[in-house]
Amino acid sequence: MTKTFLSFLLLFVVLVLAQVTIFNHIWLFGLAMPLVFIYFIVSLPVTTPTNRMLTLGFMLGLTVDIFSNTAGLNALSCTILAGLRRPILRLYMPREDDMTNPMPSVKSIGAAAYTKYVLTMTVIYSIIYFVVDSAGIFNIVPTALRIIASSILTFILLMAVAGITSRNQSGKKK
Amino acid sequence: MKNLLNFLVRYSPWVVFAFYASVSCYLLYSDSPAQRHVYLTSAGAVASTVYDGVHNVTSYFHLREINEGLHARNSELEDQILSLRRQLQETREAIHADTMTVTAALHPFSFIIASVTNNSIAHPYNYITINKGALDGVVPEMGVVDQNGVVGVVNITSDHHARIISLLNPDFRLSCKVKGSDAFGSLVWDGHTPEEAVLEELPKHTVFAPGDTIVTSGYSAVFPEGIPVGSVIASSSDSDDNFFRLRIKLFTDFTTLSTVRLIKNNELDDIRRAEQ
Repeated sequence: MTKTFLSFLLLFVVLVLAQVTIFNHIWLFGLAMPLVFIYFIVSLPVTTPTNRMLTLGFMLGLTVDIFSNTAGLNALSCTILAGLRRPILRLYMPREDDMTNPMPSVKSIGAAAYTKYVLTMTVIYSIIYFVVDSAGIFNIVPTALRIIASSILTFILLMAVAGITSRNQSGKKK
Repeated sequence: MKNLLNFLVRYSPWVVFAFYASVSCYLLYSDSPAQRHVYLTSAGAVASTVYDGVHNVTSYFHLREINEGLHARNSELEDQILSLRRQLQETREAIHADTMTVTAALHPFSFIIASVTNNSIAHPYNYITINKGALDGVVPEMGVVDQNGVVGVVNITSDHHARIISLLNPDFRLSCKVKGSDAFGSLVWDGHTPEEAVLEELPKHTVFAPGDTIVTSGYSAVFPEGIPVGSVIASSSDSDDNFFRLRIKLFTDFTTLSTVRLIKNNELDDIRRAEQ
């Protein structure tokens, strides 16, 4: 329990630092923003109670907000994403009680299901984020382009991060 | 009471969700002082420590471009010195007085130099963090420029850091004019690209051509007159037809912002007192 807690605390800190120092400054073709820190919400154990999911999501979003001067934007988007995670997982996943490992990963739920799950989470987050962000000056075409470009970039990076962390985990077991 | 408790326990995820969502929306949409609290911005203690560390590394990245900018500005100033010297010489010769003394005009503006530790360009409302704060003499409403042109205006200060409202933020309107004319308009960012902004409310009688330089008007106490802002790309008429609307190419490169100067107006108190 403590070990899991510490590893998630480490993941939280590393993801927030990576987001605010590196990924916040990437803005590919003036469209694509990598929102990699949502990997924290993506990777929480399936068994996490909904209330705890929401709290962790809100804290994650608020922390990134403080660094990025976007008061409330990520906090709201992350809270919504954390709330939607269980229904999204149910769409693609076998029944929860059949799972031997509560961490969603390629191994535990299968490559196809995991890819669909990460893609859905990314697209939903990008939509919420950019629609809320551009509410003041809303232009449909640039906002849509940003959503599409950022979803693609974020999805690729999330799969890369998933690859790295799962390799670490299987390395530890040996 | 028991029913209420049962209800709350049964629907607690919805209650928790509603609570977090409303806190977020409050932070997002309220203009209250709580939202402008320094700990909720990048000028807060934790965030600014992190950004200082990153800045120690990243400040080397754009030295080449910055150096080029400084060289350009330097040569421009050298040109000015030469032409002023020539004028001075001519004046001296004209009045046959080799011993004429030139008292330097008592300039009301002085500068504070600061480094940019964090900067965003991708949002509709952008802010910049710098590593000088209240203890260094930075106060809100100070104008900020770099070697190329106007950058923004100071918004919030902590002891050693400050947050600047970037020119790339629709909350910031800058009074500007076409260099060489007296009619002024208001420059505001329209959120499209970090390279361009729009000069609005410029009177119809103003004469200009694409490529003309836009400078600050000096009608606010924040910026002195004549600081370069950008050049005219194209114009169109405002809907009510009495004003021009000009697209401006900004001189400041917000993607490689590094060292900025904060303008301190030593006569500000005087001006405020007179305006009251």
